[in-house]
Amino acid sequence: MTDIETYRANAAQWLESVAPIYGKAARNGLSGEQDLALGRRYQMAKFDAGYAGINWPTEYGGQGLSHIEKVTFESEEMKHGFPTGYFGISLGMPVPILMQFGPDQEFAKERVLKALKGEEIWCQLFSEPAGGSDLAGLRTKAEPDGNGWKINGQKLWTSWAQYSDYGVIVVRTDPNVPKHKGLTYFWVDMKAPGVDVRPIRLAGGDSHVNEVFFDDVKIGDDHRMSPVGGGFAVAMATLMIERYVATDSAGFGPHLDLFIDLAKATEINGRSLIADGRIRQQIARNYAMRSGLNAITARAMLMMQAGMTPGPEGSLNKLVSVRSRQKLSELAIDLQGSDGFAYDDHAQQKDNWTSSWINAPTGRIAGGADEMLLNTIAEKILGLPQDHRPDKGVAFNQIPA
Amino acid sequence: MSILYDEAQQSIANESRRVLEARVNKDQLLPLLESTGRYHEEFWNTAKEQGWTALAMPEEYDGLALGLVELGLIAHQAGRTLSGAPFLTSSFGMAKAIEIYGSDAQKEKWLRGLASGESIGVVAIASGADALPRQPRLVFANDRIDGIATGATGGLAADMVVALAQAPEGPVLVVAQLDGVERQAISSFDNSRCVADLHFAATPAEILVEGQDTQTAALHILALQAVITAHEQTGGAEALMETARDYALTRRAFGQVIGAFQSVKHRIAELYALVELARANCIHAASREGKDDFITAAAAARLSATEAYDTAARDCIQIHGGIGVTWEAGLHLHMRRARSLAIEQGNTLFWEDILVDRLTGEAA
Repeated sequence: MTDIETYRANAAQWLESVAPIYGKAARNGLSGEQDLALGRRYQMAKFDAGYAGINWPTEYGGQGLSHIEKVTFESEEMKHGFPTGYFGISLGMPVPILMQFGPDQEFAKERVLKALKGEEIWCQLFSEPAGGSDLAGLRTKAEPDGNGWKINGQKLWTSWAQYSDYGVIVVRTDPNVPKHKGLTYFWVDMKAPGVDVRPIRLAGGDSHVNEVFFDDVKIGDDHRMSPVGGGFAVAMATLMIERYVATDSAGFGPHLDLFIDLAKATEINGRSLIADGRIRQQIARNYAMRSGLNAITARAMLMMQAGMTPGPEGSLNKLVSVRSRQKLSELAIDLQGSDGFAYDDHAQQKDNWTSSWINAPTGRIAGGADEMLLNTIAEKILGLPQDHRPDKGVAFNQIPA
Repeated sequence: MSILYDEAQQSIANESRRVLEARVNKDQLLPLLESTGRYHEEFWNTAKEQGWTALAMPEEYDGLALGLVELGLIAHQAGRTLSGAPFLTSSFGMAKAIEIYGSDAQKEKWLRGLASGESIGVVAIASGADALPRQPRLVFANDRIDGIATGATGGLAADMVVALAQAPEGPVLVVAQLDGVERQAISSFDNSRCVADLHFAATPAEILVEGQDTQTAALHILALQAVITAHEQTGGAEALMETARDYALTRRAFGQVIGAFQSVKHRIAELYALVELARANCIHAASREGKDDFITAAAAARLSATEAYDTAARDCIQIHGGIGVTWEAGLHLHMRRARSLAIEQGNTLFWEDILVDRLTGEAA
């Protein structure tokens, strides 16, 4: 076995051993608070077993390994339905950025360690009512206040803000310059006076996202993580940091085998649907698409192990897999006829077609809407021009509302 | 066999691309559409001269002993430039059938000519719409074959054939010389494919495979050819995606290049996705020869490559507007080829069934 195969085998063995304690079955029927508590214990168990911060520097409490080990671990971890969601953003973006850009490194090291152990959670306060895809169009502002700053405004779609201890935030510090140039990046204490977190219930029934209001929230200049007016570059660095993540060609919905099982078990007009050409075509097309994504991922991993740089095709996964999952989930409900009505809003979207279907639109919007991903492919990979942008070069406060 | 496209493989890709781009262009290919029985000789001479015919053949029969990954790289480039003859795939299929299933004597007799490219092979497994018939139309008895093999790609120019035929005990794979076999040219929308009905009349033939293994062997040959064809389709799709991109960057309308309109740029980005999925499936399939899941991987490659090439042909022409539908622009060469390659080596319906049979365990 190669080193990485040994690593994978060891990780798989450890994950198997803790799956009964923290995995899918153990989470059944837990309340939100109980599930979060279980998640914190799982994160601590990972830390103790050497699987937290796999590719982070050892001086921050990480394992000092490469992203290959990290992705290898994550792809094994995904199989068990662990309560990792609460920490995905925290450890994926804000905390690595704190390591890189945190002005006080002693403070940063303390926070990183607590985040790695699941004791503290960080959120990312980027999107706003008037700026999602158009991040630089955000309006929350920070004004000088004594030696520090005073924040006013509203953030939106902030995942896990209700459980977060800290957050990183991009705000406007100068409305008189073009929109990208007037932004500054800070960290904030989510428990500070004037921070008000209100969960938003999504279509599927869960409330992991929030709106967060800032009303005269005062912070010191030692919270600043970018030059004044240089916040957009750090925001971009935040979004680029997770270049190599474990992907799921099922689009974070059910495995195709579950669809095949459903088709085998379903009869219409006395005939099994697995013999129906319409169903067979969908199985074949979805398989070909997923095998293509899997082949891209597998080849990228081999290239990284060989010291080569994988191609940009790795960026296709979310675009292609989630919208396919959406359609396949619709069809899976169709297959069941009126039996398809049954709905359990605690069901997991990885193994329940109805949950997968109702949550699919979120997947196509969060973390880069389909349209933005297509723009990125067209512009960054194929060299096609940017869209017409009437706000280009215009001072933020001169952009027509 | 590396799937990383290492330095040696890159040089195969680069050199074949350089040679083909220098020697093949639409002005040579357009006239071939208007007559039957002609193919682009310079393409085939290039394939022989560059050793592509010998690439995936065993060393003891004058081959270069490389594999599907490397031949796939050549096929990809051939697809980009619109190969002017179908023999890279058909001769390869025939050679593989003999290499895997033939006796030493048969290998000695047939393989060297295929490796040098002096002989052209054709594979005739299909009967009409059925890519892998349970009861073939050709009849084999007393070491001779009779009957008509319809729609054989390369049939007009081939010297010898591997065919699926019905023997008294069941289907067999046979090999035969085509001397004296009447070939009826099919006037088609893509005439350089040299498609013909082959009229066998007491044509002497030798058995390659008989008994229960015959269907498995025939499917394996089809899958090998399908993987090469899928690379060719992916190459064609990639070339069209790039052509569409280049045109969208130069053509102006309403005061800007048309590539700045999302309806155009997203269309091209979608092509990129189809091309990369097809490419990844192709490389994966090429690396699975000899493994349990080879047929599954080949089917996935074939399905995604067909979708990529057909879609790229439609959309590239659409993005070009009026100029795209002219004879002169030649985009229809790709549109025609996309359909040719879609119906050779088993169509989409065939491979969808093959794939699902495997995924559901029905093929076990």
